[in-house]
Amino acid sequence: MHLHRYEKWWITFGIGSLVLFLIIVGIGAFHQGHQPPSSVKTINYEQVDKVTPFNEPGLTKVSGKDWDYELVVVASAFMYMPAEVEIPVGSTVKIIATTKDVVHGYGVTGTNINMMLEPGYISEYVTTMDKIGEYLVVCNEYCGTGHHTMKMMYKVVDVNE
Amino acid sequence: MASGKRNHKLQEEEQSLKGTLYAVFGIGIFVIASWFAVFSIFTDRF
Repeated sequence: MHLHRYEKWWITFGIGSLVLFLIIVGIGAFHQGHQPPSSVKTINYEQVDKVTPFNEPGLTKVSGKDWDYELVVVASAFMYMPAEVEIPVGSTVKIIATTKDVVHGYGVTGTNINMMLEPGYISEYVTTMDKIGEYLVVCNEYCGTGHHTMKMMYKVVDVNE
Repeated sequence: MASGKRNHKLQEEEQSLKGTLYAVFGIGIFVIASWFAVFSIFTDRF
């Protein structure tokens, strides 16, 4: 098969880009542990209010774990519990969230936190909140007539101030 | 007929693909630059 010299350059460039991309994605997945936030742990969505930790939504300090705080969130039409949370800057937080009724979204604007909350499943995300600010949490899966009013607020604050 | 075919083949081989090369590499570099720009936003955020 005859290939033009320029075509060979382009094929090399294309395959090189693909390899580079796969290496970056591979490092993210296997070295840094990026994974989908849900589908591993399940829960009976009708019993969410009675099951630990969802019976007490909110921010709790924990010790002996890879993270400093656990933020338990329960979503339902059309609200999040808790509605507001204050997080000390620099702390590593594990967000543990689920829904009591339909599919909801959990997108923290201006961050990489963006999960789908599905009935019967627990979604988790671990991150270090290293930037002071207020972050609006919005539902980005259409969930009903009050969808657009569904929100929560993260306040990442400097506790020494 | 036969000579016309040969002429056509000759023309194809002599065609310069420089414009194509620049266009394709231009798009390729744009795609990669955009990818890294978005990736830097991803790594910058928590």
